[in-house]
Amino acid sequence: MSEDHNHPHGHDHQHGPEKPATAPLEQDDTGSRALSDALRSSFFIVKIVMVVLVALFFGSGFFTVNPQEKAVILRFGKPVGEGEQALLGPGFHWSFPAPIDEVVRIPIGQIQSVSSSVGWYLTAPELEAAKTEPPPGPALNPAIDGYVLTGDANIIHARATLRYRVTDPLQNTFAFTSASNLVQNALNNALFFAAAQFTVDNALTRDVTGFRERVRARVTQLLEQQQLGVTVEQSDVQVIPPRQLKDKFNAVLEAGVKRDKALNEARSYENEILSKARGEAASRINTGETERTRLVEFVAAEAKKFSDLLPEYRKDPELFFRLRQTETLARVLANAQEKIFVAARPDGKPRELRITIGREPEKRRLPEPPKKPDAH
Amino acid sequence: MKKSPFTFAIGVVLMVAFVLLTFVFQVRKSEVAVVTTFGKLTGQKTEPGPYFKWPWPIQKVHKLDQRIQNFEGKFEETLTPDGYSLLAMVYVGWKISDPAQFFPKFANGSISEAEKTLEALVRSAKNEIIGQHPFAHFISTNEKELKFTEIEAEMLKKVQAQVLANNYGIEIKFLGVKKLGLPESVTQAVFERMHSERQVLVSKIQFEGEEQAIKIRSSADRESARLLNDADAEATRIRGAGEAAAAKSFAVFQQNPELANLILKLNALELTLKDKTTLILDQGTPPLDLLKDLPRK
Repeated sequence: MSEDHNHPHGHDHQHGPEKPATAPLEQDDTGSRALSDALRSSFFIVKIVMVVLVALFFGSGFFTVNPQEKAVILRFGKPVGEGEQALLGPGFHWSFPAPIDEVVRIPIGQIQSVSSSVGWYLTAPELEAAKTEPPPGPALNPAIDGYVLTGDANIIHARATLRYRVTDPLQNTFAFTSASNLVQNALNNALFFAAAQFTVDNALTRDVTGFRERVRARVTQLLEQQQLGVTVEQSDVQVIPPRQLKDKFNAVLEAGVKRDKALNEARSYENEILSKARGEAASRINTGETERTRLVEFVAAEAKKFSDLLPEYRKDPELFFRLRQTETLARVLANAQEKIFVAARPDGKPRELRITIGREPEKRRLPEPPKKPDAH
Repeated sequence: MKKSPFTFAIGVVLMVAFVLLTFVFQVRKSEVAVVTTFGKLTGQKTEPGPYFKWPWPIQKVHKLDQRIQNFEGKFEETLTPDGYSLLAMVYVGWKISDPAQFFPKFANGSISEAEKTLEALVRSAKNEIIGQHPFAHFISTNEKELKFTEIEAEMLKKVQAQVLANNYGIEIKFLGVKKLGLPESVTQAVFERMHSERQVLVSKIQFEGEEQAIKIRSSADRESARLLNDADAEATRIRGAGEAAAAKSFAVFQQNPELANLILKLNALELTLKDKTTLILDQGTPPLDLLKDLPRK
């Protein structure tokens, strides 16, 4: 098939050179026609190229805005739209190509971070990472060592990190050559401002939170006043005593810990002794109560017994007396350990009785608490 | 030869582009521009947008950054009126407010030239204002004494006045202290003072702790004694109340004192001779009187 096709083509080709052979009749005409043919085809190519270029030119105006950023179109240098409306959100957009329009992308939403550049001694990131520090000299050279002055004219080191978000991108981008430098200087200023009103002990230990708050409040106020178009998200402040006096400051802390320990011990002693005393007091009062009750009941019982016996006694006091006496003695005699009966002498004279009380007295029993006598 | 409308259109577009490029200039937002005609200042543009100009060499456009710049002065020593030497550094936010004035004054609008001038202005304002405030106005725990913000405001006012008086075409937006410090030799003295302050504090804390602990212990002892005394008093009072109540019952005994006496005696007898008792009795005591007059052997 291809050979077949080649053949007629070859034939045409052979005819081609024949054409100029027939041409000589109108040689000029043929030449200009060839020229115009060539021109026409090259114009056609140019046209296509032009169209493609124009398409590319306008097509280059498409751009995408990523999430976390906004874009502003500057047409002849002027923002398209007023205020917030000038901000294009994430998505696909089109603008005229340069030099008519310029697309300015502004990162927004993402947190930016800046650290203070004053207030800390000279150190290197490697040393910080290894948690070591350069050996302190006897004094601080103002050219290289940073520090802040406290309200009571002491020297401490302080540094801060501020995390913030751009909330007014137009202002932040177009009104400042370097907004982040100004944020940093506001932070630097806030460190000195806060330190200037705190005593060294308040800033370092007693009121660290207050110090942090003061730094944050000051930096927030400055950023607002200077209209930097940012919002503070988080701030962190680190404060340490000068390295030259680290031991001395630690000694104060230790003394504080010891004092607290002594105070705690004293307080637990206080608790212990007071609760003991309260218990003892309650028990003494209770004993009193018990005794009162017992006495009252005892007397009442006796009174009742008396009232019961009274009619009997009145009938015959002498007999009553004898009966009771004998009855009681009988009981006593029954209980007594030893009984010695001394009979009267026949002559009626009193009998002499000699008693030797043992040298070693009987082991004395503890006095028994008074028992509630039987009602009998 | 007939002209294709397409070719014509392209020609026009090219012409327009050429004219635009030579006769129009843009002032971008954040910029201002001054126009010079044959080297002479003839106009300024402060608003963004496109503007007409004659092409070079007739007119020339100079664009200046109109945004707020951050300028920092030097960290230098200054004397306070009460004789302290204080190192201070301030930063300034400034911008070009009047390009027509700014442009010729600072070597065709050079920012760095302007900053040299600013440095001198800021230095003199700083020295002057610090020279009017005692050291305690810079750092003080007393809120009334501290004049930190006031000092900044005074410096700002001073610099603003100077800038205005000289027609620099500059606006000072704000000014703040970036750094404060003391001369190196003074820091050593401060360290020595801090050292002794710490020692004083350590002993103070120790004594304070001991003192308070003793106070707590002794007050606990006192309080416990008070509690016990109170309890004793209360117990006595209760017992007394009991005796008073019992006394009422004694009225009963008065009906017949002899009987009452008898009962008490009997009770007492029984109680005293309760146990482990040795009794020696003769026959006079009932019921042993029964043993009397027994027949003798």
